[in-house]
Amino acid sequence: MKLFIISLFLVTSLVGQSGILDIQWPKPNPKQQKPSTPYPSVLINGIKDTHLPVYIPNNYAYDEKMIVVADKNFYTISFLLNEATVMISGDKTFQETLSKDAPEFQKLMKPSPIEFIQEEGIMSTDFNRHGVNYSLSVECENTNKDSRCKKENFLHNLYNRLIMVGGQP
Amino acid sequence: MRYGFILFILFSLTSCTNTNTAPEKTWQGKGFTYYPAGILKPASSGQGRRGDNYIYAPGIRFPLESAPAYINSQVYGIGGQFGPRGSLCDQKNYQYPWRDNYCEKRGWNMPLCSGGKGHQGVDIRSSSCHRNRYYAVAVEDGIITYIGSYTVKLRGVSGRTYRYLHLNSRSIQVKRGQRVRRGQRLGLVSDNMGKTKTSIHLHFDMKQTIRVGNRSKSVYVPPYASLVDAYKRLLDGRP
Repeated sequence: MKLFIISLFLVTSLVGQSGILDIQWPKPNPKQQKPSTPYPSVLINGIKDTHLPVYIPNNYAYDEKMIVVADKNFYTISFLLNEATVMISGDKTFQETLSKDAPEFQKLMKPSPIEFIQEEGIMSTDFNRHGVNYSLSVECENTNKDSRCKKENFLHNLYNRLIMVGGQP
Repeated sequence: MRYGFILFILFSLTSCTNTNTAPEKTWQGKGFTYYPAGILKPASSGQGRRGDNYIYAPGIRFPLESAPAYINSQVYGIGGQFGPRGSLCDQKNYQYPWRDNYCEKRGWNMPLCSGGKGHQGVDIRSSSCHRNRYYAVAVEDGIITYIGSYTVKLRGVSGRTYRYLHLNSRSIQVKRGQRVRRGQRLGLVSDNMGKTKTSIHLHFDMKQTIRVGNRSKSVYVPPYASLVDAYKRLLDGRP
């Protein structure tokens, strides 16, 4: 009976409706989007059709070996470091809609401070800007010893260095 | 509002009640048996999402190419860090019934787990305790967005992101940015965790964005019910 009630509650809460999130576009920052030295072509070409604000850490903005995977609704950019990989992704789609009276998920949506977590040896953080969901992470070759994956300082620093380098409405 | 509050109380009460005695389910195919979603073993290993049989990723393919496969705990199973003494390759680890381990206690916060801590995904053992023998495959059409030291990420056409952990790096069959088809081989199940070894298994998780009103959040959703459904289709010869 209890299981039935929980199942009923969750199934009725989840609508299963997917779509595109509304973006509140930030004011353009010419210095970041049109810098004095052009960003590498791998970045410019990689995100030319991406319709969401594209953020990357400014210290890797000129890394010509970055790997960009993107389309109009999402992007993922990887930076290959020595024995570690930094990844940032942004996505403006949603896969599930919940009714507003679902208390469990209401709790989820409460604004909370940025949190850095280590899971499966990977340090990561998720955050929402302008209505878009972003993820920033670092994965290390040596999960037990590499401080970049054991302590949050490295990733926190990258988070503080995020700049918007492109994307179009 | 009142209706929501009553449901919240009901949910809280049932979440805190010990229902670890829930019977295992059987399915008329190849002897497959499994416990319902959220029934963890041992009960002290975490508070599962009991009763959440919602299929968050309907119609996905099972992430291992072939059956049998076994979903159960690596950490609390035989030979695991907190499990009974023995070999990780003990035959009892390679038997049905399946056990959900999405909300198994780990060190990080998982808002969808009633205990507040969880595992993000589930651990899946392949048919036997051999590394580099069994392929992980794409669960839906999509694009490979990321490959790290021991992680492969697939963004499906649904928009969901699937993570495959611990594949043998040398066996990876795909490249970053490559479009893949459902069922396409990604790599071999192994014990790869960079320079640190883990047990031979696939960690599989699913992340999707949930919208409530004008807000949204990207979260790891419970994969167990979706995998039970996918596995039945695999056993039935229509993966």
